[in-house]
Amino acid sequence: MDYDNAARDTINAFAPSVSWEELLWLLPHEILGATIVFAMLAIAVRRHFFVTTVITTLGLIAAALAASMQFSHLVQGAPSALVTPLFLIDAFAVFFVIVLCLGALALAILGFGYFARLDDAREEFQLLLLLATLGAVTLASSAHFVSVVIGLEMLSMALYGMIAYPIHSKVGAEHSLEAAFKYLVLSAVASATMLFGMALIYSQTGALEVVGSANSMLGYASPLALVGVMLVFVGIAFKLSLFPFHLWTPDVYEGAPLPSVALLATLGKVAVGAFFLRFLIHSHLLLNESVTLVLALLAVASILAGNVLALRQTNLKRLLAYSSIAHMGYWVVALLSGVGLGSQNMAASAAAFYLLTYAALSLGAFACLSIASSSESEAGVLSDYRGLFWRSPWLALALSVMMFGLAGIPLTAGFIAKFQVFFAAVESSQWGLLAALVLGSAIGLFYYLRVIYQMLQPAGEEGRTLRDLGLESVGSVITITLVVLFVLWAGILPEPLLVLIAALFG
Amino acid sequence: MSESLGLLPALPLLGFLILALSGGKLPKTVVALVGAGSIGLAFLVALNLALPIIADDSLIVRETLYTWMAVGSFEAQFGLTLDGLSTVMILVITGVGFLIHLYSTGFMADDPSYSRFFAIMNLFVASMLILVLADNLLLLYLGWEGVGLCSYLLIGFWYVDPKNGYAARKAFVTTRVGDTSMALGLLLLFTQLGSLDIQELMQAAVANWSVGSGLAIAATLLLLGGAVGKSAQLPLQTWLPDAMAGPTPISALIHAATMVTAGVYLVARTHVLFELAPSVQLLVACIGLATLLLAGFTAMTQHDIKRILAYSTISQIGYMFLGLGVGAWSASVFHLMTHAFFKALLFLAAGTVILSLHHEHDIFKMGGKRRQLPIAFASFLIGSLALAAFPFTSGYFSKDEILLAALEFETYGTWLWLGGVIGAVLTGFYSFRLVFVVFFGGSNGHHDAREVTGFSMAAPLFVLMLLALVGGFLTQPTAAVFGAHGQAGEHTVSAALHAVMIAAPLLGMLASYLVYGIGLIAPDTILRSGVARGLHTFWFSGWGFDWVYQRVFVAPFLWLARLNKHDIFDSVVSLLVRLTETANELLARSQTGSLRWYVLSVVGGMVVVLLATDLGGLL
Amino acid sequence: MSLIPLEHGIALAGLLFAIGLVGVMTRRNIVFVLMSLEIMLNSAGLAFVVAGAHHASAEGQVMFLMILTLAAAEVAVGLGLIIQLYRRFKTTDIEVLSALKG
Repeated sequence: MDYDNAARDTINAFAPSVSWEELLWLLPHEILGATIVFAMLAIAVRRHFFVTTVITTLGLIAAALAASMQFSHLVQGAPSALVTPLFLIDAFAVFFVIVLCLGALALAILGFGYFARLDDAREEFQLLLLLATLGAVTLASSAHFVSVVIGLEMLSMALYGMIAYPIHSKVGAEHSLEAAFKYLVLSAVASATMLFGMALIYSQTGALEVVGSANSMLGYASPLALVGVMLVFVGIAFKLSLFPFHLWTPDVYEGAPLPSVALLATLGKVAVGAFFLRFLIHSHLLLNESVTLVLALLAVASILAGNVLALRQTNLKRLLAYSSIAHMGYWVVALLSGVGLGSQNMAASAAAFYLLTYAALSLGAFACLSIASSSESEAGVLSDYRGLFWRSPWLALALSVMMFGLAGIPLTAGFIAKFQVFFAAVESSQWGLLAALVLGSAIGLFYYLRVIYQMLQPAGEEGRTLRDLGLESVGSVITITLVVLFVLWAGILPEPLLVLIAALFG
Repeated sequence: MSESLGLLPALPLLGFLILALSGGKLPKTVVALVGAGSIGLAFLVALNLALPIIADDSLIVRETLYTWMAVGSFEAQFGLTLDGLSTVMILVITGVGFLIHLYSTGFMADDPSYSRFFAIMNLFVASMLILVLADNLLLLYLGWEGVGLCSYLLIGFWYVDPKNGYAARKAFVTTRVGDTSMALGLLLLFTQLGSLDIQELMQAAVANWSVGSGLAIAATLLLLGGAVGKSAQLPLQTWLPDAMAGPTPISALIHAATMVTAGVYLVARTHVLFELAPSVQLLVACIGLATLLLAGFTAMTQHDIKRILAYSTISQIGYMFLGLGVGAWSASVFHLMTHAFFKALLFLAAGTVILSLHHEHDIFKMGGKRRQLPIAFASFLIGSLALAAFPFTSGYFSKDEILLAALEFETYGTWLWLGGVIGAVLTGFYSFRLVFVVFFGGSNGHHDAREVTGFSMAAPLFVLMLLALVGGFLTQPTAAVFGAHGQAGEHTVSAALHAVMIAAPLLGMLASYLVYGIGLIAPDTILRSGVARGLHTFWFSGWGFDWVYQRVFVAPFLWLARLNKHDIFDSVVSLLVRLTETANELLARSQTGSLRWYVLSVVGGMVVVLLATDLGGLL
Repeated sequence: MSLIPLEHGIALAGLLFAIGLVGVMTRRNIVFVLMSLEIMLNSAGLAFVVAGAHHASAEGQVMFLMILTLAAAEVAVGLGLIIQLYRRFKTTDIEVLSALKG
């Protein structure tokens, strides 16, 4: 290879071999990979949904435990490790690995209850879930455009399958094909755009590293590289469903089965968000005025469009889709309040906290929806939840907590998250963004409370009977309980969590 | 030790949660056990906390419950502080509170909403404890609003009768006027002094504001507004008599012993501020004096047993305000405590009377009930003696302190004292008017009444009788809080003046004995003269305040509301709503469902993003 | 061997990208949409190869191989979905997929 340049020390420093120690740093990834293989073999031997689910959950728990051990080492001062140029294993990455694994664990349990009676192969759902998790984990710990692409595509590919999952089903799931197709085409456009942007960056700087000096703000002096950055932003904005790249979101949310939507809304957003956060922190891109202008436009447009679109939505899945658009807008406001600029990195903490909270809240909301539904009949329309308080008060209470959280009402994690964003925006004097934030939150309050209002209505004829909870839903009930407790705990006693997250950027 | 400070409000709160979440499905014994038991436990905790402070009043227990969140330069902490002043308060709240809860287990036994009653009562006690323990004004305000809410819920407890709902609303709206003033005061303090922590605030105020400065006057005036509303003082006193619509234990706990004295507590707590504004302090004294006289005259004319007690409460709190105004902080808090004892006693005894006489409220339909209702009679006798400050009962000591301090006050001291003494005559008169009319003379109805009693109702009465008699000998550990001044020092008053002060209530009692006891001068004879009848009507209506407020505030408000039927302000709001709805329609149209349009949108977005980029030399 | 200037290569890639994008936007036949997506992905690959050559580093080619795999996977899933679509609607017109909206 005469292309090989001796000056490219990044390659040389870590090539050619990978040491044991480095393999140990990638333990969560390896466990997930091994679980996928093992689960696949188990399915080949004998199809059994419960066994596959158990394997999946055990693998996810093992990965989360491995990551937790790494986390405690890293928090206690162990140096972070660059494992090959592809992965940066530091407290930030490992924290999100834990979050992603726990989220996937919840989704595996929810998926089990939801797909328990599907009239088709059910086991592969867990397989796809594991694959998506591996992709998400890879994305969150990536330090290089190659691993970014691998992670992102692994996540997206698995999602195509998960969205279209009940495609052969005779009952229900009439729109999953359309949803999958829309997501596939648009996501491919976004991926291609992102890749083209990366190519442009690479052509100007000669480096593919996300972290490190080569692709910091200094390297982006060239306009072509800036175009590349913008194209990468387009890809990310699509995945985060920011306006005007959001049009797919409600359709996919509506058409896809609930556990898949939950994955899209939690793991998908967290992994991409974590990568975006890292990208901004290391590249100091916010020093560039064009970048802040573009992000501010996206944020304001998303906040307003998302909230306004959700206003009269009668389908709860679509409503949550529009709300996700708005929430990602709020999240970008947190980024704009100075990620990668100040030494304190209050904005980065706020953004990380917001991401975590949003994931928990939407996980809880979709969990409540999916426990009321099954693959044969989904309770997705708002009127399905009419009078829920009188029919199953605990479920209604859990869903109300999630709605309060999403609306940012005190004593829930949502309030703390939104307050931090407010505060960061105030500290950095982002008055225009702040105005959008306030206006959006005010509109948001209306439609979140409308959900609760519907649940409080006297149960009429139209309120449909929800799925009878059998043994398959025990895990789902426990999951919802834990999520509710987390949301309340993080709202009432957020200090430990805040300290933990601040340590990620210390 | 320090953990138990948080335990104090947590216990009643836990009781509230258990009762509220069980949704009225628990059996009544369990409800009673949880409801009264939580307060009883809280009293034990309070006692345990209080003993070291009573021994050494400079001791202050602090506890940061937790830091809610610390983001950047912002820090929200919830902390509790227990010093001498709050020690008195927590003992009164949990002690008297427990007795009233115990009484309620009997009093409310037949009520279908038994569980709801105790749930709200527990919530009230928790809020009240937070109010007095808060180390910052924001947390105090939280408790302040909490007790207001509970008061509203409990006045309207029997909500089936719209009259009760109206009374609850009146109380809520009237106190809200005060609360708003207080909230403004908090904002002013925070913007001017940069903190709401009470300790820091007081130090900052002393450091930054000179005596009589405009800001100090404004801040104390606003705080006073809140205190006046909560404590039913002029001009916001009108809600309290109507608040008697609630069950009698509520009147005892909330509208006599604890919540209505929150205003006194607030002024005492921020006394450093008031010392910086002597003119406002004088105003406090004048408000107190005016209120105590006005309510005293009114109480003489009322027929409803609970309304008499309500006006007497207003009047007694007037004494407390008088004490605050003349700087006798400690004496006011002392009177607060003794008043809690004897007024709770009177209310609970009134509850027994009312229950025994099948919900009869009119005292002129009672009469001669001392044999039928012996415990209630004993309670009323002792309670009234204490209320009238009969020598060596609890009320005597506390009222004495206030009057002596008033006498020594530089500005208008003598006049304030004289007013207080006249008030004492009135107190003696109206309190024994009640005793004579209800318990002596011939029976005017309910001849077959039998006293409803039982351990749970009788025991609290006996304990309170004891406290009303000897409560004056209790010492209170407030010396360190109020510093050297405001302390009950050795008063140097001539024996003659002292004799006047002792004689005043006796004079009132004598007069009432002559009129109502032996009927020497029949009330009807007095009322025959036009002037007396006019005065009577005027006083009976509470000096026409309700009439005036109806004309001055309510009617113009309704007129404005009618005028503004097609709300001009609302149309601005509805314009916004229509705007968002239009935007919603427009945007919803963009969700066509067509994939190619979605791609177009992505491309369009891409173009906009690139156009917004400052590409420098590229193009 | 004289290298082609970087700008020329990037311009060509950009042109291909635009062609692909226009294809996705305008074609109604789903098969052609997938083909247009392939063009877009490959344009990015071309840009990587050109840039890699410019910087004399192997990373560009590695990235191209990645994109190749990616495109293959994308098409595999896409074709699978197209078969389902054809079975259900007997057409490959993309406009049948617009039931979800609002």
